[in-house]
Amino acid sequence: MGKEIPAEKSLNLIRGRLCDPSFIFGPLSASSDSNYSKLKFIVSTSITEGCNNSILLLGPRGSGKAAVLDLVVGDLLEQFPDSVSVIRLNGLLHSDDNCAFKEIARQLCMEHHLLFSKMASFDENSHFIIAMLRECGLAHKTIIFVLDEFDMFAQARILISFNLLIGKQRLLYSLLDAMQSVTSQAVVIGISSRLDADQLLEKRVRSRFSHRKILFLPPSRDELDGLLEHLLSLPADSSFPSGYVSRFNDKIKNITSDRRFKDILKTFFNAHSTVNSFLKFIFCAVSLMNLESGLLSLENFKAALSRMQRQPKLEAVRDCSVLELYLLVCMRRLEVKEQNSYNFISVMKEYKAIHDSFQTSDYYAQNVCIRGFEHLRERQVICYAENRGQSQTGEYRPMKLLISASELHQGMRSHACCPVSHPSQVIGPLISLFLSLGNKTVSQGPVICMFISW
Amino acid sequence: MPKEESSKVTRRSTRSSASATVENPEPIESHPPTIDDLTFGDESITLDAVLSDFPGRRSQIFDFIRLMGPLDCPTLPIMIYGGASTGKTSVVLQVLRHLNRPFVYSSCRTCYNPRILFESILNQLLLHRKCSSNGYSSAKRCDKPSDFVNLVREALSNVIKTLESASGTSRLNKPDEKPMGKMVYLILDNVDLIKDWDKGSMILQFLFSLDSVLKMPQLGIVLISGLPPDVYYSNMGYTDPIPLLFPEYSEEDLRQIFLRNQANPKLYSAFLDAVLRSFCRVTRRVEELSTTFSSLFRKYCEPLDDLGISPNEDMKRRLYSHLKPFIAPCLNDIFRVSTHPHDGETRGERRQKVSYSSENREELKILDFHMSTSAKYLLIAAFLASRNPATLDASMFDSTGGMDNRKRKRKASEKSMEKKEIAEQEAVMKGPGSFPLERLMAIFQCIASVGDSSFGEENEGEEEEDATGYDRENNNLMSDILLQVSSLCDANFLIKSGSCPLEGSIRYRSMVSEDLALKVAKSLSFPLAKYLYRR
Repeated sequence: MGKEIPAEKSLNLIRGRLCDPSFIFGPLSASSDSNYSKLKFIVSTSITEGCNNSILLLGPRGSGKAAVLDLVVGDLLEQFPDSVSVIRLNGLLHSDDNCAFKEIARQLCMEHHLLFSKMASFDENSHFIIAMLRECGLAHKTIIFVLDEFDMFAQARILISFNLLIGKQRLLYSLLDAMQSVTSQAVVIGISSRLDADQLLEKRVRSRFSHRKILFLPPSRDELDGLLEHLLSLPADSSFPSGYVSRFNDKIKNITSDRRFKDILKTFFNAHSTVNSFLKFIFCAVSLMNLESGLLSLENFKAALSRMQRQPKLEAVRDCSVLELYLLVCMRRLEVKEQNSYNFISVMKEYKAIHDSFQTSDYYAQNVCIRGFEHLRERQVICYAENRGQSQTGEYRPMKLLISASELHQGMRSHACCPVSHPSQVIGPLISLFLSLGNKTVSQGPVICMFISW
Repeated sequence: MPKEESSKVTRRSTRSSASATVENPEPIESHPPTIDDLTFGDESITLDAVLSDFPGRRSQIFDFIRLMGPLDCPTLPIMIYGGASTGKTSVVLQVLRHLNRPFVYSSCRTCYNPRILFESILNQLLLHRKCSSNGYSSAKRCDKPSDFVNLVREALSNVIKTLESASGTSRLNKPDEKPMGKMVYLILDNVDLIKDWDKGSMILQFLFSLDSVLKMPQLGIVLISGLPPDVYYSNMGYTDPIPLLFPEYSEEDLRQIFLRNQANPKLYSAFLDAVLRSFCRVTRRVEELSTTFSSLFRKYCEPLDDLGISPNEDMKRRLYSHLKPFIAPCLNDIFRVSTHPHDGETRGERRQKVSYSSENREELKILDFHMSTSAKYLLIAAFLASRNPATLDASMFDSTGGMDNRKRKRKASEKSMEKKEIAEQEAVMKGPGSFPLERLMAIFQCIASVGDSSFGEENEGEEEEDATGYDRENNNLMSDILLQVSSLCDANFLIKSGSCPLEGSIRYRSMVSEDLALKVAKSLSFPLAKYLYRR
């Protein structure tokens, strides 16, 4: 309780909007040929006409399939209050058929206020479901089955149980079969991010499936601009101080019409195209809002863009110590020398060769270098080349680099481990070592001496 | 209403435990946990305290607080990632202590399979504590993600109802305490360990999409991982959480970290001037540096009588010159934790030992663990068996004792040098060779007899000799030897490397490095170099 400053209130409001899918996809689905209208039309006709139907919603992750479906289902539950019930399944959780039937039975029991026993067996559950379907069909009640992550129900898995073989899509088959044979009214809606989800179905399942697909494509720039405005403009109600709302909305208009902001958006959309990633971008920008002034600014969006565009291998190389950088450079030199498979011992030989010819001051014992290797492996900059060969110790197993030469070079250039007064004394020689590759007789190269003054 | 059976796990008791009576009944739990226990519990701290506790983490702390948002602000899932000992877990917990918000914390290191993880989270949400009265069992049994989702929904709605009613009534006892709010945060630590679990990728995908499965805006999810988020990309998709990087500390930050809680900051800062830069070239991890610095600091302060003085320039130079010879060997020992206790009486002995090792830095040191003589000979025999090709055994171990290195006098041609290099590379890649047990025994007999300086007695160098055909003197050692081989296998000096399908005997491989073999040979005064085959 207590007084909330208006900045916090507006922050709460906007963040709440960003985490609420129905607020976001409401205006996006307003037009008459949007996916929302199509879906609503199909489902409502099958409810009113009392027939069975099956649809697939396909689209990349984060394009709002589940959100639009929730909107449609919400509307239908209002429109036909007594003749619709919804069963939701998720492929992540209920891909095991036992689990799936139990969950369907549980949700049916909750709908119809029946007692549910956790100890019911698989057969009992399936009989119960078929009986319920028949009852609902006779009572002209439609059951909507929502199968999230549809491809996980359809994927071939090896299961331990003896009566479940590879490739049997038991749940899908029984559902679709029940729809055809029993007098039932059911709509099966599958949601998947694999665009070829219906190709995964078996022949007998596919024959019972009506091939209706609704594709969720990335929204156009106009739609996204409209969404941005819809999200960020504060309502002019009395809970906010009077001048604040107009100042906030004016600032938003200024930012969105700024050319630099349009550039930021263009850079962002080069890499990300879905609505969800756009929402994350706005979320990062909004959370950086200055709480004293309570207004957004262009810098917030710039900072959010840099956070969304990470360079993970570069960060990993920047976190390395000088010894680890030496080891990486040695591995790169071995690769250039066409020695494609190398292990720790060969890298140590190269390290010693460098030390002998270049007189570096960074020569450490083998146990120190092994720990350096372990740190590199933990950061996933290098890894073992093959997974078998477990009978060898780590020193003899072949390794490989997980970063490319240019990433390594860039990481070394932007490395922070050098004192300000001598900017390139530590990393400079490393870079020249790295660049002076391809020469087998390395001793011809310039001798680089490193003096670290105390 | 649906009724679900309670899932108390009944334990079967053995006859003896059922009949035994409890001698000392444990004291009853003082109080069952309440909703207040979901917050950090101790006195809440100010933001300045958090910032000063974590030098070098200022921007990350501010970023995290901004991502969490003000009270009751819904949030998308956040992933905090960074190397080891960069302060991720402690920063998250201290910030939550400062903000005084209820949270549920579970680490995937202590909860090592999905069932324990789910049950730990549910126990905290259901305010259930394991104690003797409920037989140390969890509140609900849960090992599948589908059950977890249903149970968490129920538990969370109860918790949120309690939080809402608690926030409605004014809190009279602590007026300056921050309100708890209506959101609960779920913190999962060490998420990268899930990759190695059974069905780990499914569990990871489930955890990353937990917020969209649960659809409860009052739950905020924070994942802490040691690996960057791109490691988790697989062909199972999910939407990324918002990343927050904790990079490794820079030198300045390390200096500030080490200067905290020091009795004499000026002295320590002079010490850090001397050593920090060179040690930072090897590693920048706090836990590895702190063990080395504590022992080095002791050496640094040796010439000082009074540890409380602040040094001037002259003293600094003197102390540095005293410390200088110890720095280089310490760099090579940086990852080794010393087994010697640090007490004052052994100071003289330690100084002597350290000075010995500083003389021959790259040379051998004394073997610092004890092995019986026969085990040492076995170790050397295994090392030789792995390094030398089998065909050379006869010439190597004949009565003249040792290979004659003066054989190679011809100047090698260019092509044969190239071949030699390639062969060397291949040998390095393959690693130590494997050998059957009989060969090991044969070599062992030869060198043990060489060590006894009884040359002319044995002239067996062939592999296929039966072990019991040897001298009677060594006969009573044989059973011991086979026991020694198995204990060397346990200590990982030898490993079993797969059996030849024709012969059926087990082959071994030596895992000893050349340094260790030289150390062992030196302790026995055994001329190892003569027996090593060098190409």
